[in-house]
Formats: sequence, structure tokens, C-alpha cells
Amino acid sequence: MSRLRIAAVATLALVLAAGCSAPGGDNDSSKDDSGPIKIAVVDAQSGQLSSLGAWELKGARLAVDEWNKAGGINGRQIELGVFDDQADPTVGTNLARKIASEGYIAMIGTAESAVTIAMAPILKQEGIPNITSGQSPGLVAVKSEFLFLNGPTSTTYDETLAKYIVDTQGIKSIALITNNGSFGKGEHDAFTKALATRGVTPVADQVVTADQKDFSAALTTIRQKNPKVIFLGAEEVQSGLIVKQARDLGITAPFAGSAPQGTPVFLDTAGAANAEGTIVSSPYLSNDISDASRKFAAAYKAAYNEDAEMHGAKAYDGAQIMLTALKTSNVAAGKELADAIRATQYEGLLGSFKFDETGVGIFATSIGTITGGKLVAAAG
Amino acid sequence: MQVFLQTFIGGLSLGAIYALVALGFSLVYRTMGLVNFAHGNVVTVGAYLASTFYLSTKLPFVLAMAVAILLTGAIGLVIERVLRPLENKDFDLMLIGTIGFGIVLEALIIMIWGATGRAVPSPVPGAPLDVFGVRIRTYDLVVLAIAATATVLLVLFLSRTKRGAAMQAVAMDHEAATAVGIHVGRSNATAFMIGAGLAALAGGLVGPLLYVSPAMGGALGIKGFAAAILGGFGSIPGAVIGGLAIGVLDGFTAGHFQGYSELVTFLVFTVIIMIRPTGIFGERTVNRA
Repeated sequence: MSRLRIAAVATLALVLAAGCSAPGGDNDSSKDDSGPIKIAVVDAQSGQLSSLGAWELKGARLAVDEWNKAGGINGRQIELGVFDDQADPTVGTNLARKIASEGYIAMIGTAESAVTIAMAPILKQEGIPNITSGQSPGLVAVKSEFLFLNGPTSTTYDETLAKYIVDTQGIKSIALITNNGSFGKGEHDAFTKALATRGVTPVADQVVTADQKDFSAALTTIRQKNPKVIFLGAEEVQSGLIVKQARDLGITAPFAGSAPQGTPVFLDTAGAANAEGTIVSSPYLSNDISDASRKFAAAYKAAYNEDAEMHGAKAYDGAQIMLTALKTSNVAAGKELADAIRATQYEGLLGSFKFDETGVGIFATSIGTITGGKLVAAAG
Repeated sequence: MQVFLQTFIGGLSLGAIYALVALGFSLVYRTMGLVNFAHGNVVTVGAYLASTFYLSTKLPFVLAMAVAILLTGAIGLVIERVLRPLENKDFDLMLIGTIGFGIVLEALIIMIWGATGRAVPSPVPGAPLDVFGVRIRTYDLVVLAIAATATVLLVLFLSRTKRGAAMQAVAMDHEAATAVGIHVGRSNATAFMIGAGLAALAGGLVGPLLYVSPAMGGALGIKGFAAAILGGFGSIPGAVIGGLAIGVLDGFTAGHFQGYSELVTFLVFTVIIMIRPTGIFGERTVNRA
């Protein structure tokens, strides 16, 4: 068989794989006033980031189930349509057109900034408000009045982190390891900026690819600089692998990061002993912060038989805001619904939401550290 | 110098995994002239089976690996059996068939184990060795040793046993082989079974290094495929050299080009293949298409 044929068949394989992975049937495309209110949840339900998608879906579903049990909105039930974007922006753009043609009036997700950014222009054009779990500053740069964030941006996460590390702890010897994906790039830029305003230059700034598995080169370079803290800007699994390999290479400095470093997947992948001491900036440190979070955690446990964590809480908040806006606007769609979301002030699990014109509604996080295999609030 | 050596060592252990994946590709190609596009997904199945027996059933790691290799080998037999009616009739359909099998396997993996993955703790705990400031993980040494052993066994099987010699004969001329009484179907089945077994070995070994998830086979499959082509598709030593080369190349491009490493790795790969289209140990004995 010639090499050309191998190439041809490989291309065919890719085409087939792409064609086979868009499930779902044709639905009525009219936006009528009776029947269920259709909200789409778009997230990775397969692939390496699928744990994010699974958490997000659980959080959103919990909120919707609560509202449906209480009689829905204006007597109409809420129907969640679940779509798998495979964490792939191309799949995401296809899904954006699909949910528009199938009559969904609002969207929850995705947890990946890159996919959300790819979908944003189409959703804006179709007038579908979207509450995302992404946190990249790039989401704000899109400048879509239909795009909202259910949590802080990386800028907030990393400003809090820099404040804690540099101002509170007085540590100036900091190394960076981030990936070049949408999330990692956002983290890199936000944290570097937060350091720059404090006059601190990182001792090492290593960028890895989002698919990379072996970090020997980057970590050895960092090890030679002997930093006091290593900032980590990568998703759950990759962060875990980086920490595991760093400990194997004899790096003992603690890592610091935002949302991904507070998750069970990160802990599992790194191993609890390796992750000990990790500094995490998060708007949701534990299920024990308030009555609301305890109630949420209990409902979550009852529904899914597992412990609630931040991503589920974020999506729950996002869904609650969406549903509240639907109620206050009498189930409006398009621009009217977007305006209703912007006007919604909501006391959520992550804090007090009050949206500004960029679609960001929350501007504070707290610092926790992983101690004894658990994320706990940091002293001081 | 320290960075150089550490990068080299880091690249080697993943390179050994790529080599095992490449061996599976090459073995099936060598005997049947067929590229098994389901191979990456078979690696994932092997990884899940090994991790399940190791973590859930609490078997010792070695035993868990052995069971995983046997079960995955059986899957290889099933794939070959389904494709057998097409052998020598429609080659392209066979290729599409392997792609189809890959999609089916991935769907089955998600149905059985779910879309989220699992972390596998290292079976050989203990501090890494420190050689002049270069840290070598004990588990990396285990991976290298097992990969080397598997390669030697495979070469011995192909060159010293009757069944192995028969497989080589089928590869060279299957009609002549049939004429002297060699069962071509059985020979192909053996190739698929060993190929799948090697995939399970790679998957099981890579679990503690990485993270077992439905998507892992994609990345390993592509790197393994590239390794097989770089070494010379169908060549056993080529697969090993190609795998190690891709692993080390990956490590160094990561060091020098950081965020662009993947791009540079495949650019280098492309240039090598342009200069030497048959790969390092390339030989063109198999051409049944």
C-alpha cells in the first residue's frame, strides 16, 4: 500500500469520526410560547476535559430540577438539552447553529473558554444568551452582550493569588509553567500582569502544549532556578501530571493555581502527598462556607451520590441566574432575556453576582491550601 | 548538561511506550499489509482493563497486566475474525473496518467506564534514583526493561519459531504460503492477537505515567503510528528506534520551542520522511494492496 493511500485513508478516518459524532435528531424549530422552555447545556461529555462537562451538567440539572419541581416558570417546565462539544471549538460552532435551529432560547456552558469564544459570534447573531463557566479574559474581549460568566475571570483569580503570594507571604521568587491552550494562555497573561504591577519578574516562564505528557525539560529548567512557588496554569489532568513529575524530579516548592488545582481530579492525578501545600485561588473553597452551600452540597450528594465541588456550584449559580432572568422577563428570548440576565442580582454559592457591561458578575476569590489531601481556607 | 540529560531520560520512557504501540502497528502491517486504525483504541482498552484489575479487583500490577493482555489479545482475535471474509477481496473495506472498530471500541469504553478517566498510582513507589543530579524514576526503568524484553521476545518468536516463520512467509507471498499448507487466516489472527497484546502492554504501562481516559488512545495512536513510519513501517527494530526517537524528539522540542513543540516535532518528522520515504529501516516486502 502506498503512503499516499495511508494518508488518504487517515483523512477519511478523520472525516468519518467527525461525521459520526454529532448525535441528536431534528426538532421543531419554532419558538412557540407553549410547551417546555428549551435550554441547551453544551459541554465536553467525552475526552480529557469531560469531567468538567460532567460536573457542570450535574450542577445545572440540579437547579433546573428544583425549578421544575416547584412548577416551572409561568406554568411551563424547563427542558435541558445536553450537547457534547468534545472540548473542540469546531464541534462547538456546529452545535451553536444546531441549538439555534432547534429552538433553544438560552445556553449554559461551556466550561472551556476556547469553545465558548468560538461559539459566541453565532450565538450573538442568533440572539441566544449564554452563561459560560469559562474564565479566560478572552471571553470578555469577545464583547458580546449575550455572553455572561458564572464566575470570576482569570484576572480576578490571579490577582487574588498574586496578592496572597507576593503581598501577604512576601515571596518574590516565582516560576511559571502554563499551557498554550485558551485557559493556560489566559492564566499566564493574567498572572504575569498581576506580578508586573507588583514589580516582580518570574524567575522562569515555561510554556507547554496542551497535549504534552512529559515535562522533564520545563521542570528541570525550573528546578535550576530554585523558585519558592511555582505558578501552574493548566487544566486538571495536565496540572496533576506536572505536579507528579515535578516531585519525581525533586522539586519541593509548592504549586499555586486557580480553579483546576482545587478539584478531586487534580488531587487524584498528582497524588495527595505530591499536591500537599498547593495554593488555590477559588471562589468556592468548600461545601461548608454557608447555609446555602451546605444545602447545595446535601442536594448534590442526594442526587448524584458524590461530593459537590466548585464547577458544579458554578453551573448551579449560572443556571439559577438564567432561570431567575427567564422568570422576571416572563420567558423572553433574545436581547430582552440578555438584558434580564444583566439586571439579575443574585446571592449565589460563589458570592454576590452583579453583572457589569462585560458580562462578568463576580470579582472576588479566596485563598485555600491543600492540607491533608483536602482544600481548606488559608490562614491570613 | 543536566537539562539535556534529564530531557533525554524523560523522553525515553514515553518513547518506549510509543515503541510498543508502533510494534503493534508494524506487526499487523508486516503480516497483512494492513494498517490497523483501531490500534490506538485497543491501547485504551488495555489501559482500562489493566487499571480496573489493578485498582478495583486489587490484583498485583503484574497479574493485572497479564489478565489485561490476555483479554485484549482476545479482542484482537475478534477484530481479525470479523475482517477475515474481506481478506484478499477488498482491502479498502478492511481499512474502513478497522476504523469502524476503533469507533465502536471508544463507544464501548465510554459505556463501560464512563467518559471521565482515572489516575493510576505507580506500582513501584519509592524515591527516584539520583545520578549526578539527573533524577531517574524507578518506574521508568521498569517500563524500559519491559519494552526491551517484549521486543526481544517478539523478534525471537518471528525468527526462531515455526509459527513465526510461517507468518513471515505469509507476509512475503501469501499465495505461495497457502500452497505449502500455511493457514493464512490463522497467521493473520496470530498477528492481530499479538498486536493487541502489545497494545495492552503499552496501555497498562502508560497508565501510571499518564491518566487513563477514553481519549488517551488518540494521542498514543498517532505518536505510535508516526514512530512506526519513522522507523520504517513493518520493521520491528524500526518500530523500536522510531518510538524512542519520537519520544526523545518530543522532549527536546518541548524544551526549545515550548508552546510550538508539537508543530516542530511533526515538521522534523516530515523532513525526515521526505529525505527517506521508507523510514530508517524501511524495506518494501509487503504490498498486498
